[in-house]
Amino acid sequence: MKNIAHTRNPLSSDKERYRTKSRLSERGRAMFIFVCSVLLLAYLLAPITWLVSSSFQTEAEIVSVPPHWIPEEPTTKNFEAIFFQEQKEVTYESRKQVDPVSGGYIPSTAKNLLPALRNSFVVACLVVIFNLLVGVPAAYAMAKIRFLGRNSSVYFILTTRVIPDIALVVPFFLVIKNLGLLDNILSLVLTYLAVTVPFTVFILISYFESLPDELDKAARVDGCSRFRTMTHVYLPLALPSLVAVVLFTFLTSWNEFLLALMFTQTPASQTVPIIVASFTSDFTISFSFINAAGVVAIIPPIIIAIMFEKYIVSGLTVGAVKG
Amino acid sequence: MAPFLDYLIYQLSEAGTVAATVASTLSRRFNYDERSAYLFLMPVMAVLVLVAVFPIFYSLYLSFFDLKLTRPHRVPFVWFDNYLTLFADELFWGSVLRTVYFTLISVTAITVLGLLIALLLNETFRGRRFISAMLLVPWAIPYVANALMWKWIYDSGYGALNGALLQMGFIDKYMVWLGDADKTIPLIANAFIWKEVPLAAILLLVTLKSIPDDLYRAAKVDGATLMRRFIHITLPSLRPGFALVFIFETMIAIRHFDLFFILTEGGPADTSHVLAWEIYVETFRNLSFGTGAALAYIMAIVTFFLAYSIIRTVGKRL
Repeated sequence: MKNIAHTRNPLSSDKERYRTKSRLSERGRAMFIFVCSVLLLAYLLAPITWLVSSSFQTEAEIVSVPPHWIPEEPTTKNFEAIFFQEQKEVTYESRKQVDPVSGGYIPSTAKNLLPALRNSFVVACLVVIFNLLVGVPAAYAMAKIRFLGRNSSVYFILTTRVIPDIALVVPFFLVIKNLGLLDNILSLVLTYLAVTVPFTVFILISYFESLPDELDKAARVDGCSRFRTMTHVYLPLALPSLVAVVLFTFLTSWNEFLLALMFTQTPASQTVPIIVASFTSDFTISFSFINAAGVVAIIPPIIIAIMFEKYIVSGLTVGAVKG
Repeated sequence: MAPFLDYLIYQLSEAGTVAATVASTLSRRFNYDERSAYLFLMPVMAVLVLVAVFPIFYSLYLSFFDLKLTRPHRVPFVWFDNYLTLFADELFWGSVLRTVYFTLISVTAITVLGLLIALLLNETFRGRRFISAMLLVPWAIPYVANALMWKWIYDSGYGALNGALLQMGFIDKYMVWLGDADKTIPLIANAFIWKEVPLAAILLLVTLKSIPDDLYRAAKVDGATLMRRFIHITLPSLRPGFALVFIFETMIAIRHFDLFFILTEGGPADTSHVLAWEIYVETFRNLSFGTGAALAYIMAIVTFFLAYSIIRTVGKRL
């Protein structure tokens, strides 16, 4: 092919050869990128797809060997059990009535997931509110006001950012027990502040720093107090970083497991991860039901992540680089 | 513990009086800007002292006591006995080794996979936006969901791993996965890697994007091949990104608890008994809070050293 092209147009042979080559390598590059993308997507999504697929299978189908990758007779029974099932008294007899072949093995505690969703939501919202309340003024002060001890405050917050949550569990437990807050969602709100506030402050500081100082001076000359400058001049401009903070704090609280495991004991305060985890340790529960519970737990974070992808990526990079 | 708390509350109220005096002095010493800055910082400092500084020192204090919830009324002060008992304990050193093993394979795989993904997403092609949105999916889901998902995939009776390998002809009968002592930690690490790779990829991608195009153009003009450009420009420029990923993921890996709790509970026969699991067992199963606090303190100190290296390597950009 190349030789024919040469003979047909000897004048532009060099150019032609270059172009053919680059077109070929262009196609090779596109193919290569396509293959890599497919592999990457498969790696990222295959486990989740399998989780979702098996959550729609009946007990009879989920124990087939080899597994049915796509449910042949999809059922929404697992999800119905979580959202609509009447609370039944479990006795030894009623437990035995469950017919394993027709898709039983659904725990009587299935209904606990509803209050858990509410608890998770309330805790996450409260943590978000507290984060904004304490984080915004602090970040504004550290980014825009020159004062004695500014650097050491930044370093102090940097240090608290790296305290591992598991190192806080023992002292937290004793304090919360003494305060009588065990099995109360307030204990979760309080302790989640330790794992969220430093990160919040870092995202906000770097964003406030990127806003021009002149705004600050202009507002001050016009007679705004520091507080008014913050709320009326900088806050509207800092909206993207506030969104990032809300998302991160919400996701962290929604997903948190260790602290919730320590401080909650009954469905009155248990969050989604705890209820879901409690299903996994019970061998009488069908995996199709456990997977349905897992699906319920991952839907809100996935929606948030995909809807606000841009904010999250920028927040992650800023938060990591600074902290 | 109650007398200690009473003492603490007394001290706090004393501190309140002192603070009021200090505040009135401050208003004379500092100008308006400084005063408002301190006022703005007050809430965050109060919260952090309450939920981070106080607990970490309280835990140091507790680690010097033989505090067992099984006998709450006799709490002898034992100096460093909790630490010495730990250092003489084979299970402790075993858990340290297993934590190191888990961390090493996880962090290595996360860095390599993260780099490959970042290199892919650094190219411009159709569907790149879609892939970067999907990249966030593993990052966003709770660890508990991640754990149950892999527990089901690894299931020895009906799991997807067995099914897929059998259908593709790699194995001729179903195998035990998590229950096999040699495979336990690598398999848990695999679940951990799947969840942590997106963060690494994003951090490395940002570093890649910050490399000036001129460098590549100049190298191209000088006739450097793709491989040479990668080795001499990309890799050295990625150093801060690598440092960040390495330190970050190490810090997350050594303290990781959730997967061990749901997938194996430290088993089979202690093969996945890592440091975080040891803290949980000592504290909440053996109810020996003194030892738990000592263990947690060791963990905190190790993390602090890692954090110090963060400040040294990337903190300069602050």
